[in-house]
Amino acid sequence: MSALSLHKRIEENTGLLIFGILLVSSIGGLVQILPVLNQESLQEPTANTKPYTAVELTGRDIYIREGCSVCHSQQIRPLIAEVERYGPYSRAGEFVYDRPFLWGSKRTGPDLHRVGGKFSDDWHRVHLIDPRSVVPESIMPGYPWLARRNANQAGDIVAKMKALAILGHPYTQEQIATAESKLEGLLEIDTLIVYLQMLGTGLDKEIIR
Amino acid sequence: MMADLPIGFWSGWIVVLTCVSLSTLAWVVLSVYFSSPDVKTGDADAHEPVWDGDLREGSSAPPLWWFWMLLGAMVFSLAYLMLYPGLGSFEGLLNWSQGKRLVSSYENYEASFDTRRAEIANLSLAEVQADPVLMATADRIFRRECSACHGIDGRGQASLFPNLMDTDWQWGGSPEQIEQTLRGGRNANMPAWGPIIGEEKTRDVARYLLDFSNREHSGRSVYEQSCAACHGAEGAGNVFLGAPNLADNIWLYGGDIDSILTTLQEGRLGKMPAFDDRRLDATQLKLIIAKLAK
Repeated sequence: MSALSLHKRIEENTGLLIFGILLVSSIGGLVQILPVLNQESLQEPTANTKPYTAVELTGRDIYIREGCSVCHSQQIRPLIAEVERYGPYSRAGEFVYDRPFLWGSKRTGPDLHRVGGKFSDDWHRVHLIDPRSVVPESIMPGYPWLARRNANQAGDIVAKMKALAILGHPYTQEQIATAESKLEGLLEIDTLIVYLQMLGTGLDKEIIR
Repeated sequence: MMADLPIGFWSGWIVVLTCVSLSTLAWVVLSVYFSSPDVKTGDADAHEPVWDGDLREGSSAPPLWWFWMLLGAMVFSLAYLMLYPGLGSFEGLLNWSQGKRLVSSYENYEASFDTRRAEIANLSLAEVQADPVLMATADRIFRRECSACHGIDGRGQASLFPNLMDTDWQWGGSPEQIEQTLRGGRNANMPAWGPIIGEEKTRDVARYLLDFSNREHSGRSVYEQSCAACHGAEGAGNVFLGAPNLADNIWLYGGDIDSILTTLQEGRLGKMPAFDDRRLDATQLKLIIAKLAK
């Protein structure tokens, strides 16, 4: 059979045409995506990667809410220039509890994947409230309201953790039950700093590249 | 572990789908260009779709340069799949991977510094300090790693981060002490005295700190009880505890009465992050120490 007679049949039969289009457009996904979803080495958390605690999760959601990911990526590529500047390149296993992941590709500000431990909590506090008080040439906006709002107003933490538990994050009943009390007395900025300080700490400290 | 190539069933899945797709594409392209006219009728248009009995597009053959372009793309695909990882768990004849590229670029990068690093390792701290080129490098490392907290000029900022350009050192200013501070980080721990000694004594000692030479001050007895253990009877501080000198006129967290009261009431937990190998290699560390100890 020649491809031309096949072409004739497809063109003259709408049902066959729809089937053909779906078949051809699915090949990319079948080759690129399906095997990766089933590849255990990419789903295995790295040694220190844990599900986000109630405080970290709240900070992460504030990070998303304030649009931090619009200007900051969280993905260090295996290139010498990136590793020299930011630290060891990102491993797949560090993102297994990220829903959604915040890799991004737009770097108006620096990549933040290994920002954890790089600055002190005090620095993050003054920098988030008024970036230019510590980095005069910074173009980052200030987020002073984070230091005025209570962390437990930033959404229903119990509902979030229950939803993530359904998706397979290994939260214990106790973690979910005590989630609200963990946020007691914290401001939004405190939770965001806790989140920033844990970023990139999922990788063994011995790995320097 | 770098090679995260698919293994087992999914490797085969990728190989089969890729090969089937490529051969189907080849078959389609070859048929379009080299199909013989219909055997029975001899009609070259026999394969053309016909709608509603007589509706035809009357298409002509695609230009021949398309054929060469498609053929080129297919040859490229085959060559690529042979040379680079792509066909399931097959690593490719070049044995290339992103991880290996990073390792080899680091080898070249490190090698390009070998001589210079060895030279610097043999220099004394004073020789490094006397070399303007090295000190300019130290300035650049300082701007990259230290200036976010200590300021571009290193004179401290935000009433939180100490001035590194004066002679007052909270954790000691010898090269060894500076190295320890950089490599290990520091955690200062000024307790919150407000709840312990009460409002009145806190105010009293705060006023005494601003009038430190006055031995007759009523705050002195509180100071001796609560503060002297770390800051010393004469207020000289203790570099092993990171307890600053209170007798000089340098105030990390502000020297006005309100700032001092806040420090006393709420405590201060000054933190210097650790600069491990990920952030400063041995040569960079030496240059920074030379700059700071100058």
